[in-house]
Amino acid sequence: MRKISLGDFLKEYMAWVILFVVLALFSFTPNFLSLTNFINMLNQNAYVIIASLGVAFLMMAGEIDLSVGYMMSLCSIMSGILIVQKGVPVFPAILIVLVLGICLSVLNNFLSTILKLGRFMTTVATMSMYQGASYVISKSVSIKGFPDSFKAIGQMYVGMVPLPVIIMLVLLIICSILMGKTYFGQYVYALGGNADAARLAGIHVNAMRYIISALAGFLIALSSIMLTARIGSAHATTGPGTEFTAITGILLGGISIRGGEGKMSSVFAGVMITSILTNGMQLAGLDTYYQFIAKGAIMLLAIGIDVYNLNSRTRVKKAGEKNA
Amino acid sequence: MGTEKILELKNITKLYPGVRALDNVSLDIYKGEIHAIMGENGAGKSTLIKIIGGAVQPSEGKITVNGKSFSSFTSSVASENGIGVIYQEFNLVPSLSVAENVCLGNKLGHKVKKDKKQMKAVTDNVLKNLGLTIDAGIMVSKLSTGQQQMVEIAKQMVKSVKILILDEPTASLSLAETRNLLDMVRQLRDKGVTILYISHRLDEVFEIADRVSVFRDGKYIETREMKETTRKDLIRLMVGREIGDEYPKRTTKPGEEVVLEVKALSGQGDKNITFSLHKGEILGVAGLVGAGRTEMAKMLYGYLQKEAGEIWIHGRQCQISSPQKAISMGIGLIPEDRKREGVFIDYPIDWNIPIMSVRKMSKGLFPDKKKMQKLVNAYIDKLAIATPSPKQVVRNLSGGNQQKVVLAKTLAAEADILIMDEPTRGIDVGTKQEIYRLMNELVAQGKSIIMISSEMEEVMGVSDRILIFYEGEIMGVVDRDHFDQNLIMARASGIKEEL
Repeated sequence: MRKISLGDFLKEYMAWVILFVVLALFSFTPNFLSLTNFINMLNQNAYVIIASLGVAFLMMAGEIDLSVGYMMSLCSIMSGILIVQKGVPVFPAILIVLVLGICLSVLNNFLSTILKLGRFMTTVATMSMYQGASYVISKSVSIKGFPDSFKAIGQMYVGMVPLPVIIMLVLLIICSILMGKTYFGQYVYALGGNADAARLAGIHVNAMRYIISALAGFLIALSSIMLTARIGSAHATTGPGTEFTAITGILLGGISIRGGEGKMSSVFAGVMITSILTNGMQLAGLDTYYQFIAKGAIMLLAIGIDVYNLNSRTRVKKAGEKNA
Repeated sequence: MGTEKILELKNITKLYPGVRALDNVSLDIYKGEIHAIMGENGAGKSTLIKIIGGAVQPSEGKITVNGKSFSSFTSSVASENGIGVIYQEFNLVPSLSVAENVCLGNKLGHKVKKDKKQMKAVTDNVLKNLGLTIDAGIMVSKLSTGQQQMVEIAKQMVKSVKILILDEPTASLSLAETRNLLDMVRQLRDKGVTILYISHRLDEVFEIADRVSVFRDGKYIETREMKETTRKDLIRLMVGREIGDEYPKRTTKPGEEVVLEVKALSGQGDKNITFSLHKGEILGVAGLVGAGRTEMAKMLYGYLQKEAGEIWIHGRQCQISSPQKAISMGIGLIPEDRKREGVFIDYPIDWNIPIMSVRKMSKGLFPDKKKMQKLVNAYIDKLAIATPSPKQVVRNLSGGNQQKVVLAKTLAAEADILIMDEPTRGIDVGTKQEIYRLMNELVAQGKSIIMISSEMEEVMGVSDRILIFYEGEIMGVVDRDHFDQNLIMARASGIKEEL
């Protein structure tokens, strides 16, 4: 019924197309195309994707958060202190850590609201604060000795599928429905598309920003818990760097820096692209420091694509105005 | 004004990919006349002046200036032959002085070591000739829009321009500034400058033009002597069909019931605003740009905070602290800046129309898709939104249709007190009429409208009563029976005395 041109198709499903191209490229590496390797890759990236879903909510609403990595670090340390050092039972401990994540993210929003400062600068500042706090609280020591009931969150299998993959897929579906099928999603796009118009349309913009921040904080804390459970120890370096992979993946997934567009399912594809490339570089034996350079280049590429898309849209607009 | 041709266009055609912006246009401009170019949006006016200014090359056709024709008519050829264009967006550098701007692009301004004294002398001279009292040393950013427009003209005059093209020069000027500009244009003509005046404000064109040429859909329609033309003729030529009264007659009268009462409202520069709005009434709000009308609208809508005063709706006092509150009280706002505040321009029509009512149409978090689709189709029908599909992105619609989307979205939220801020700005004559007709229908259904407009004709043509704003205060209220353009203009300029 609706005609879709090749250009539109590519724009909408670009992340998936790139993902398949990357998969095809790596299919020549031995063992790459096996089911176990796929499940492994999903398992390794489940926590990144969950954190990315949180960041994606923010970015779709035209916001950003650079402190994600150290929020995760603080949450990881907190679960170590509660469960290992204070002996708090696993379930209430997890609840407390989730609340902590929500608080940290909401604090970012609160600060950027009262300072009337963009979240970019605000979260550069809080990133440093969260980092410091994380090292101070943990005394820069790694906390080990989590009970098996906690580690199970990151290590248990259901049949041949790891629990993190199941959690990730369920959350992916929930977030997709939330953005694609509910009025909440429409409000998020409204905020990202034009916050002034959203306020004039009677959308409670401030409340929405707090809700979105809380949602992001919840997903980021959950991501931290799953990562901590998988590696079985907590340290101040658990988590940092995730924001980079997340933002690169989200941009590759076609979510604009300016907000207002994109799909949750593409976040999955975008993050998988970055992780497969990283994985490939490791297999190729590329030095870690070179990998940093490559990752930066990939992010620049993702930003480039985004900016190109924005420009092509305004170009169309200008051409249209010429005829007025 | 003689009939000596200074500029001749022969069979000009301009093709853009997929669009014939100008179609075989021929036009003669006489030396020393003020020649108005009129047409609706998309008529080809902008393309025409770009071609005359050399900014765009025609696909076919010939341009002759002073009897000389040119094989390629570039912007440097245009300016060598005394053609100067002042576009709608000014080409001034805000951080430079008036003198530096006036001499910019001129030999004086190009020297590495600028001769400030000479620049000032030249500028002073031009400003004096134009009868302006602007200080040549002041920074352009400190000037009002009207003054900046004058600097643009001075900039052209330094180059001793023979043909001056003005593109919608009064679009962002206040009434007083418009008067000044029109006077200056007349002066220039009397000094022998030929003026091409692009505008879609009828009253202005009637006031100053000697001849008028009408364009429609990229085609040249007709040139007429202004004296032998009526408003109705001109509108018919622009729209291409008989359109009846410019302001459609209303069959209903406003009721007695007061739906909105504003008592001593102050804040955002407004002082002591008191008025009431009746059921089924269209209350016009006249005044200059910056008189505090938009601020009043946004305070009533809860978007800006008031400092003092009371708002009563249907006889009950209301605290309107946010747009949500206003909407729940049945107030709707059609904002002044359609593209920035009214619509979500990069989203489709069927996304925009339900955005204010989607929550009410949801079970839990999930909207009732069928109900929403019905709503969207109903409003596309009712407001005759011209679009190939409800999925069309709003950016691709014409200004008038974008405005209809804003209206649809507000009406879908069940507003019965509508505040419309410049509802027809930048909209072509045909669609304007549709909006007026729609306003009539709405008040006939018992809704009430506050219409802010800077177009005198419109305010007088549509309203039952007019509030006149001047510097944040109400300077007067006039009933339909006593509408008088001079009186309203005087009050809007701050003159309290009886005329």
